[in-house]
Amino acid sequence: MSDEEHHFEPRADAGASKTYPQQAGTIRKNGYIVIKNRPCKVVEVSTSKTGKHGHAKCHFVGIDIFNGKKLEDIVPSSHNCDVPHVNRTDYQLIDISEDGFASLLTENGNTKDDLRLPTDESLHTQIRDGFGEGKDLVVTVMSAMGEEQICALKDIGPK
Amino acid sequence: MQSYALESPDLSQVQSAMAVVEQACNSIQMHMNPAEAEATILAFRQSSRPYQTCRYILENSHLANARFQAAATIQDAAVREWGFLPDEEKQSLISFCLSFVMEHAHASEAYVQTKLSAVGALLMKRGWLESTAAEKDAFFIQVRQSVVGAHGRHAQFVGINFLESLVSEFSPSTATGMGLPVEFHEKCRASLETKHLKDFYCWAQDAVLSVANEIGYCDSTGPEVKVCAAAMRLMSQILNWEFKKTITADVGGVKNRRDASFSGFGHEAALFKKSELVLVQPGPAWRDVLLSHGRIGWVLELYRTIGQKSSSDRSWIDSPLAVSARQLIVQFCSLTGTIFPSDDGQMQEQHMLLLLAGIIQWIDPPDTILNAITYGKSESEMLDGCRGLLAMASLTTPSLFDRLLKSLRPFGTLSLLSLLTCEVMKAHAANKDEEETWASEAINILLDTWNVLLQPTDLSKSAHSAVGVHEAFALFSTILEFELKVAGESAYDDGDSSEQFQAFISARDERLSSYALIARAAADKSIPLLTRLFSEKVSLLCQGSGRADPIRTLEELYWLLLISGHVLADSGDGETALVPEALQAQFQDVTDPAQHPVVLLSGSIINFAEQSLHPDTRAAFFSSRLMEALIWFLARWADTYLLPIDTGRGHNCTPSQEGERLNEPHQARKALLCFFGEKNQGKSLLDTIVRIASTTLISWPGEKILQELTCFQLLPALVCRKNICIHLVTLESWRELANAFANERILFSLATPLQRSLAKVLSRSACGMSNSEASNQYVRDLMGPMTGFIADITKKDDIKSVAQQPDAIFMVSCLLERLRGAARATEPRTQKGMFEMGVAIMNPLLTLLEIYKNQSAVVYLLLKFVVDWVDGQVVFLEAKDTAVLFRFCVQLLEIYSSNNIGRISLSLSSSLLNEAKTEKYKDLRALLQLLTNLCSKDLVDFSPDLGNGAEKPDVAQVVYLGLHIITPLISLELLKYPKLCRQYFSLLSHMLEVYPEKVAKLTPEAFSHIIGTLDFALHNQDVEVVNMSLSSINALATFHYKERSSGKEGLGLHAVDYNDPSGTRQEGILGRLLELLLHLLLFEDYSTELVAAAADALLPLIVCDPGLYQRLGHELLERQENSVFKARLATALQSLTSSNQLTWSLDRINRQRFRKNLHYFLVDVRGFLRTM
Repeated sequence: MSDEEHHFEPRADAGASKTYPQQAGTIRKNGYIVIKNRPCKVVEVSTSKTGKHGHAKCHFVGIDIFNGKKLEDIVPSSHNCDVPHVNRTDYQLIDISEDGFASLLTENGNTKDDLRLPTDESLHTQIRDGFGEGKDLVVTVMSAMGEEQICALKDIGPK
Repeated sequence: MQSYALESPDLSQVQSAMAVVEQACNSIQMHMNPAEAEATILAFRQSSRPYQTCRYILENSHLANARFQAAATIQDAAVREWGFLPDEEKQSLISFCLSFVMEHAHASEAYVQTKLSAVGALLMKRGWLESTAAEKDAFFIQVRQSVVGAHGRHAQFVGINFLESLVSEFSPSTATGMGLPVEFHEKCRASLETKHLKDFYCWAQDAVLSVANEIGYCDSTGPEVKVCAAAMRLMSQILNWEFKKTITADVGGVKNRRDASFSGFGHEAALFKKSELVLVQPGPAWRDVLLSHGRIGWVLELYRTIGQKSSSDRSWIDSPLAVSARQLIVQFCSLTGTIFPSDDGQMQEQHMLLLLAGIIQWIDPPDTILNAITYGKSESEMLDGCRGLLAMASLTTPSLFDRLLKSLRPFGTLSLLSLLTCEVMKAHAANKDEEETWASEAINILLDTWNVLLQPTDLSKSAHSAVGVHEAFALFSTILEFELKVAGESAYDDGDSSEQFQAFISARDERLSSYALIARAAADKSIPLLTRLFSEKVSLLCQGSGRADPIRTLEELYWLLLISGHVLADSGDGETALVPEALQAQFQDVTDPAQHPVVLLSGSIINFAEQSLHPDTRAAFFSSRLMEALIWFLARWADTYLLPIDTGRGHNCTPSQEGERLNEPHQARKALLCFFGEKNQGKSLLDTIVRIASTTLISWPGEKILQELTCFQLLPALVCRKNICIHLVTLESWRELANAFANERILFSLATPLQRSLAKVLSRSACGMSNSEASNQYVRDLMGPMTGFIADITKKDDIKSVAQQPDAIFMVSCLLERLRGAARATEPRTQKGMFEMGVAIMNPLLTLLEIYKNQSAVVYLLLKFVVDWVDGQVVFLEAKDTAVLFRFCVQLLEIYSSNNIGRISLSLSSSLLNEAKTEKYKDLRALLQLLTNLCSKDLVDFSPDLGNGAEKPDVAQVVYLGLHIITPLISLELLKYPKLCRQYFSLLSHMLEVYPEKVAKLTPEAFSHIIGTLDFALHNQDVEVVNMSLSSINALATFHYKERSSGKEGLGLHAVDYNDPSGTRQEGILGRLLELLLHLLLFEDYSTELVAAAADALLPLIVCDPGLYQRLGHELLERQENSVFKARLATALQSLTSSNQLTWSLDRINRQRFRKNLHYFLVDVRGFLRTM
């Protein structure tokens, strides 16, 4: 392949770009999209036309990956949409503070203490109980467009 | 019988039972605590011998619902307990049902009566094979009395009703299941058909005749009308009976059939797509009842009389009496088979003529009739008339069909049909706003009629006949006129909504193919008409350029393209499409191929499509929708006409026709076939089509439907034949496309599934290269850049952070899809190149799997690529390469498993959680598919046997290892997805059947997980899954038994009892399975189809551990308190393992014996074991 295609080579501001443009027609179900300035997971895509002989447009139904709200958008399929940069990082859970902050161990040995546990009761208990039972937990933190949230946890054996 | 004494409980008990049932019925109706009420009723239904209580409720309760429940309870209990009810009680139950409905014939809640009459019919059938002919006759004499009206009109109605229930109970398709083998139902059916059905029919006919006269004099709501309608319903039900085919062994019978097809009757195998038409084919025995003098005429007469008597009231057409009379008439129209004597079809012709004379008044003259309907007359008479025509058309040849009417009218039936269809079309176009109108139903029936008339059913004869050409053309021009009008008017409607899009398309295609048949019947006029219309619309479009709004014309062209495609070619659907015979056979006087109407029409459309290559015209005229129709047309056309494989020979020619084809018609045929062949226009047209296809991918950005048509239909149509590929790979335009795909960015703008398809198409064309070397090199050149790119990026130091960027994810997804597309095009010729392609990226893929462990969409694409690649490769690989492949698969499974085991998704949104679950499910399906593909190495192996003693990798070992890795990921929760469930169990049962010896070596945890899933499968809803788990159990137990008999270990430790860590004694797995299976068989619900498979699993389990079986049987006996049942159970258990000369071995005969024994055993004991 020619050199120009390596355009996602790390740039000076790598990671700083929060979104990336992509043609609406190529966005599929299960992909990500920005709707109303929120990062969403696409759960439904349908195409229709503006009048029988008009151009195609895509109808997206997305679910906000942080708050679970449903959002919709219609975009001409040849136009670009913003796709969020959704990153997921695994950390080992070291501690849970009294005021609901998680203490996480990063890969290079530092700790990350600025992440609040989910406020939702059941998710909160799931994490707390798992931790309380003394399991060794790895949490996956999802980040996109300046927000962060724990999105999965994994038991890697007893402590 | 002592136990019988229990049957008469005292009055107060019965009364209180009634109160309980009534209360439950009430609370269900009022929606108060319905769950509890339902439980009460269920318990009542399952109680032992509830007959006295039921009778009491039926006779005394004021609550219709309670009476209904009582009737249902009698049915449930009697079917369950039939085996041990005394004969007199059986009899009394049946006669109670009947006498009760007779006595209460006036009662208002008819549904209770109907139910009870159905219960009577059901019990009658249950005891059918036990009672003697004399008993039955005595019984039916009574029924007959009431049916012919000896006991008054109400009793007559009840009698007819009872016969209706009886007939429907005896007809296998509507029979109630009774836990008995199919054999039983079949015997009952045969017995009723030969001995009684005709009598029933005669009684019903007598009943109609007895009241028919009275109907004239009184109001149309009296009991006479009710009786008459019911009797006719019964008659038509009897005619609907699936009569057993009378296989006439004698020569006369066979001759009869052949004569029939010569005389014009015969193509019975016609397809009825939209209107359901059932042919009535009772055997010759029915001739006197149905065909002898005046047996048909009276219905027509009756219908006419009803019409005259109620002419003041328009609604009579839809009265039950009129409806059932017409239904009967339509059924008579579809009467056929050996009931007619072998007289060259004369009698059948007479019969049809008689009926046609009756129904012609419903449809002729069409314009007057349709006018009346438009102004409010009911349409059902006209629709039934159409159905009558359909029935006749399906039993006759076109020429006979046409002749029928000529004795009644100055024109033939086809003219009438054509006129009627045109008129209905007009009416349909006039009120197309309404959704489902009578007109569209009529069109469906009439088009079906044309279909059965014109469909070439007999390929040995020329499908084309001169009959009906004129009528067909008249109809086709009307169709064109109205459809174009409709298309033009709908041009400004909104775009197609994607919902029900597929359904809409297939309905439209079905209709278009009916039109196409009509057009082909008059091809010499209709194809030039299409060409003329098409050119007119195109020039209209060009003239109006820039001034007028072209949308209307665009939509008309769209429709013309669709119909032209259907007329010119059949859809291949994976078969080799041939030029329709009708088009080959006509145009015999065409000498210049360039002037052949088919060539002219094709040429003008392709020329038009070619104009889309110029940017200016493209922008001016070619909307994406118009382009879609053009691409669709080109795909269909190319499949049939472009570079035909063998232009020298015509298809389906039989020796007798060979001579005929050497004459002039042969020339026209050959000219048409060769015109687009390789020596003529073929290659340049191919080039044009490729260029048009490439343009659609680039110049209509984001038009997904258009691009899908190109990638999924047009391009695959080009590469499906090798002789086209040979030319394809030499074309500059094709090379440009391949180059753009491999080395440029432009095609990344396509949606990823389209890129996959494109990769597949391009790889497939490699088969056009001259040899295997060149083909493999072609694949390397095409896919090399992709593999190189993937290998490069995984080597980068900062890959971890770069890879997570959206553009990187998009790029990797595209490449994986492309690789997968290429892998799916693997063929023996390109296998080597494809293998290298996969090997080059094995390690990079493992890296990517680790990096993208949190990007499920990428993981899924990656797994799917591996699945398809392995599928294409595994059967060809030599031992060394197989080992490489296996090692890679195991590594892949291990990485996937370590990333996903024990992982829980957390999200506020339940739909996101569901999505996560679905993704997991799809991954696992892919992994199971991978294992299944690996399995196939053991079954099919094309690799050269080098004979150098290289050890072949052990497939079973690998697959078990794989199963071991992924089974912990398959939770019972996930097994609720039916597809995953089936896939898992089919793999498991395959493994257990083929390699049981490997199971023995599994670790206890792995083994118990497998057994746990088997337990789950036994209670699955899906019969197939249960079947697979039963055959797995069979395989396990049989293996164990055989190994033990030869002194080996068998399942070893897994099979022995052990003490678990807490000290309680646990049975070995075979014991556990035996217990589970017995419990399932005796106490739970399952389909009777499973009994055979269950017997096959049960026998080896019993022979493995007879001691345990004895103990379980003993326990079962201990639990039974009733001494009568206890004795029965003991005998049944005894004969299960001893009757039929059953031995303790597992050979085939013994297994068959055991199947039989188990069947009898279950019929015998389940009834009382399941009683509460």
